[in-house]
Amino acid sequence: MISNFKKLFAYRELLFSLTKKELKVKYRGSVLGFFWSLLNPVLIMLVYSFVFTIVLRQGIKEFAVFLLCALLPFNFFQNSVNYGAGCVIANANLVKKIYFPKEIIPLSIVLSNLVNFLLELVVLFVVLSIFKYKFYTYLYLLPLIIVIEVFFVSGVTLLVSSLNVLFRDLQHLVTILMMVWFFGTPIIYPLANVPERFQFWMQLNPMAVFATFYRDIFYYVKFRDFVKYQDNFGFYIPDYRIILICLGITFGVFFLGYFVFKKIEPRFAEEV
Amino acid sequence: MAFVNSDYAVEVKNITKNYVIRHQKNPSLKDAILKGKDKYEKFLALDDVSFNVNHSETFGIIGSNGSGKSTLLKLMAKVLKPTKGDILVNGTVSALLELGAGFHQDLTGRENVYLNASILGLKRKEISSRFDEIVEFSELERFIDMPVKSYSSGMYMRLGFSIAINVNPDILLVDEVLAVGDQAFQSKCYKVIYDFVRRGKTIIIVSHDLETISDLCNRVIFLKNGRIEEIGDSIKVVSAYRSYVEDLERNRIIEQQREERKKIFKSVIDSKRKVVDAEEIDKLLKIDSGVFENRFGSGDAEIVKIELLDKDDKLIDFCRYGEEVKIVFEVKFNNIVENPIFGIRITDHRNIIVYGTNSKLNGLKTDVYQPGEKLKIVFKQVMNLIGGSYTVSPSIGNKDTKTYCDWIINMMTINVMHSNIAEGIADLNSKVIIIKK
Repeated sequence: MISNFKKLFAYRELLFSLTKKELKVKYRGSVLGFFWSLLNPVLIMLVYSFVFTIVLRQGIKEFAVFLLCALLPFNFFQNSVNYGAGCVIANANLVKKIYFPKEIIPLSIVLSNLVNFLLELVVLFVVLSIFKYKFYTYLYLLPLIIVIEVFFVSGVTLLVSSLNVLFRDLQHLVTILMMVWFFGTPIIYPLANVPERFQFWMQLNPMAVFATFYRDIFYYVKFRDFVKYQDNFGFYIPDYRIILICLGITFGVFFLGYFVFKKIEPRFAEEV
Repeated sequence: MAFVNSDYAVEVKNITKNYVIRHQKNPSLKDAILKGKDKYEKFLALDDVSFNVNHSETFGIIGSNGSGKSTLLKLMAKVLKPTKGDILVNGTVSALLELGAGFHQDLTGRENVYLNASILGLKRKEISSRFDEIVEFSELERFIDMPVKSYSSGMYMRLGFSIAINVNPDILLVDEVLAVGDQAFQSKCYKVIYDFVRRGKTIIIVSHDLETISDLCNRVIFLKNGRIEEIGDSIKVVSAYRSYVEDLERNRIIEQQREERKKIFKSVIDSKRKVVDAEEIDKLLKIDSGVFENRFGSGDAEIVKIELLDKDDKLIDFCRYGEEVKIVFEVKFNNIVENPIFGIRITDHRNIIVYGTNSKLNGLKTDVYQPGEKLKIVFKQVMNLIGGSYTVSPSIGNKDTKTYCDWIINMMTINVMHSNIAEGIADLNSKVIIIKK
């Protein structure tokens, strides 16, 4: 495992080159390239805002902000996994002809989506400033959460991208699963609205913990370490047990994904 | 560079490679659940192959399609993993398995140079310092900022080649990629390869271009069905491969013609005719002549002339049944040939072998012959054949008994006169006796 990481480190320039390629290809052919990619979260935001504030009248203050804070990190996860699923097959010409640590392919997908996510966060900051949110209060916690999320996203992407080589229809299944995952994560609703007896189980999903953290930082702008606290709108700080479990699952998934990928990797050149 | 003191550049130790061939193209989760284990066949691409490549050696791999050449190269490039065995590679490797593998259509030539070179293992700084060289070599200065999807296939390959040769490895693996661009660019490519050779790099080449292989390589291995058929001096191995291919081709033609002949016979039998019409006979004759006018072999030695002599060494063009005659052919050597085997084969008009023999079967040991040397080979025999027309095919075989220097099929016709009329080929000289009981 350690020698694998060393090799990956030696190939870091390739990782960055491929990430750059992904971004360039994505935004090529349109000056507004990046802004097109914003269209998706903006549309989702508008639709859900309409449904939740005008149709259902949930009474969540500034629902658009409430939603975006959790939606952007989830989109990062969802896009990485959805694109990542087919990435080894899509790069068959590389896999078959050139030797390099193949995990660079899915990892470059994750990194390019991360860059996209960071750019979206900048846009979010603009929105937050307009709504006069003091989003910068706990900003120092943001890098930590992002890094942890990157590990989780990488783990799932590695797992899915390698398994998809052996089972080609997994890709379609993943798209459906990601939709289920979306509704299973407190994005369009606050975790506090979930009946208490389900809350613990829901937080076994690291994405749920990440989403609440992002929301604590940006939307509630409240952070009390390891103290459980709830207000009327469902502000909720996960307790330390939840945080530990989340870290355990995150790194467990990462190493599992990496392990499975490396296990299947020797077969790539023959299977794609 | 930790292994730079090792004796060999590449050590291939008992490599076996099995491919799994699935009947269904793409494996899927649905089938895994519904049908259980997928049915598959194994294909043995390489079977216990071992050899070493020395440092600074130019090493060729030849063989017909499916013999395992490319698999072997991919194993050395670490793109594939061997099923069994080990490959030790001492030094940095650049594999030209496919030019422009990993080019992205939407990116410009410039962007692809950076991307492709980093895939091949170059650092960004190294690419920048070699960028101009790469572009100049590819002759694509004017097009370098255009997306490669607008390139012609020749431009595409040229850029791919230029990047690949600028990676500057210790060991270069080349798979059939030297046929790039026009004549001028090709000669440039060869210059680069020769430059590699001069600089003492190790080059391993897979190619069907036998001229290039025997020209470039010190040693060559000839793979057949995943096994090493021959390994050693390039000229020797290439000529062995040549005659193998020629044999294969000859057999293919003969098989094809046999099929055609069968078809004609079948149509005659099916129509229940007793008489074969002239057109069909014509066709049959044509088929035969196709086989007869063949000549095979490496050309290391050639048959110059063949003659039929009677027992007093007088030239004749027919013989009588039971007469002692000499079939004499002259051989000229163009290359060093060790212990060749000289043989003749006599066939009848239906292409059935009547008799065949050679110097080895006669217990004759031959020498090593030098280029320019000439020999006369004499076969002395009694012609105990039924009257008719026979043809003689002389051959010069190599000592491995598989490959040939020269083999001229049906070079000479011998007419045998017989006062008796009998059927068949051999005259068993029967006496007919009738006994009353």
